[in-house]
Amino acid sequence: MRFTKFARRIILLAALPLLLLAIPAASVVTASAATGTGWIRLAHLSPNTPAVDVYLYSFGDSSAQIVLHHVAYGTVSPYEQVPAGDYTVAMRAAGAVATSAAVISASVDVAPGHAYTVAGLGPESGLRLQVLDDQLSTPSGQAVVRIIQASLKQSVVSVKWGSDTLQSSLKFGAVSSYQTVTAGTATLTVSGGGDNATASVPLAAGTVHTLVVLDGTNGLQIDNLLDAAGSGVDPAGGAGTGFGGMAPHGPSSPLPWLAAVGAGLLLAVGGGLRLRSRRAPAAAAGRHQRVPAARS
Amino acid sequence: MKGGGRHARRRRLSAGARTAGLLVAAGLVAAGAGAAGLALTRHADVPQAAALQVLPAPTGPIEAAPTEGAASVAEPVSLVIPSIGVSASLVHLGLTSSGALQVPPTTAVAGWYTGSPRPGSIGSAVIAGHIDSVTGPGVFFRLSQLQRGARVYVRRADGTLAVFEVTEVQMFPKDAFPTTAVYGAVPDPELRLITCGGTFDYSTRSYLSNTVVFAKEVS
Repeated sequence: MRFTKFARRIILLAALPLLLLAIPAASVVTASAATGTGWIRLAHLSPNTPAVDVYLYSFGDSSAQIVLHHVAYGTVSPYEQVPAGDYTVAMRAAGAVATSAAVISASVDVAPGHAYTVAGLGPESGLRLQVLDDQLSTPSGQAVVRIIQASLKQSVVSVKWGSDTLQSSLKFGAVSSYQTVTAGTATLTVSGGGDNATASVPLAAGTVHTLVVLDGTNGLQIDNLLDAAGSGVDPAGGAGTGFGGMAPHGPSSPLPWLAAVGAGLLLAVGGGLRLRSRRAPAAAAGRHQRVPAARS
Repeated sequence: MKGGGRHARRRRLSAGARTAGLLVAAGLVAAGAGAAGLALTRHADVPQAAALQVLPAPTGPIEAAPTEGAASVAEPVSLVIPSIGVSASLVHLGLTSSGALQVPPTTAVAGWYTGSPRPGSIGSAVIAGHIDSVTGPGVFFRLSQLQRGARVYVRRADGTLAVFEVTEVQMFPKDAFPTTAVYGAVPDPELRLITCGGTFDYSTRSYLSNTVVFAKEVS
């Protein structure tokens, strides 16, 4: 009966170092949520539409967030990073007052981490504002490319990159989907009607391109836009950028100390038992009187 | 009677039980010492680095990204992060035979991953550096202390500077490294700075986490 208390104490004592062991090192800071921004760029790709002023409004806000003045045919703005949310893009004739009615407008829902091109496409008589979803990824070691056909002079074109045919008959105002190509530099050939345009175009691994076919001053013109770029080949896993010299010198090995604790406890238990067996016969008579059988 | 009994017990105690008592005492002392040793060695011994020296911003022609093409930007040659006292030259990093990111050969320099875009051109440029050597702090020892909005300068071979602003500082377990967020394509000029962090695993002699700084070019 008395021994159980003794044992309990020993168990507690033994548990103490285990409790100490259980105190973990400071836990790793968790990654916060994504920054919640996306990208948007604006383009004028309607050949016979005069220059415009392009306005970008955050939805419900009457004052424009971005105004691009005198945007002429063939112009594509750099990407603007904007908070995710709804936006309105409006085009007005260049120089028109900001409060005048827009020639055309479109709404864009910018999702976090996504990029969009809002482009005026087609002929002036049928001008439309199209929201294009821009790709931000490439297969490892490869490039992706899409084509916007914005030439009115040659209403149908075919596009070859090296010996690969990217598009065989792309109509005016059309936007192809992205295609994966082997990374490298090759000759881009755009042909339509009797017109031919060539350019040496580098498409590096890990890059996303939009090739815009335009009416140039003399025949067709090719505009190579770099939509996005990342690593050609993603390294595997994390980076081994440390040797531990400034790391907290953590516990070498707890085993010797645990052994000491264990051996000590064994010794104490052994001694305690021996003490009890010696005390028990002598104290037996007195104890019955002093301590009534209160414990069970 | 009772008094006599006690005398007798004391005599017996002094004889055989003393050894037992000694055993208990010695055992408890040993166990206590073991527990104390365990507790003391659990306490981290944190090495101290020299005080932070904030550096002046570098001067030179600042050139923003060209809107088209990537080749027109010169290669990066050095890196300055004034607020955490970093000024280091940049080496070229490739991939190891197992496909992991190479790391700089010394802890005094940082490295640009040549598979990533050049800093200041469109895309996510990647620079890695060591947090420490086996004996002391490395070039990116204070990387995790960078604040949002802090400036990062990359000087290029033609003497021009690309200037970045920190947007995020995060730590990720290496076994959950955000490959797409770090190496994936982005449509504007950005920079990623990578070093180690978190717990150092003495059995594999490597840190279990990576600190990643996300920055975008200041236009």
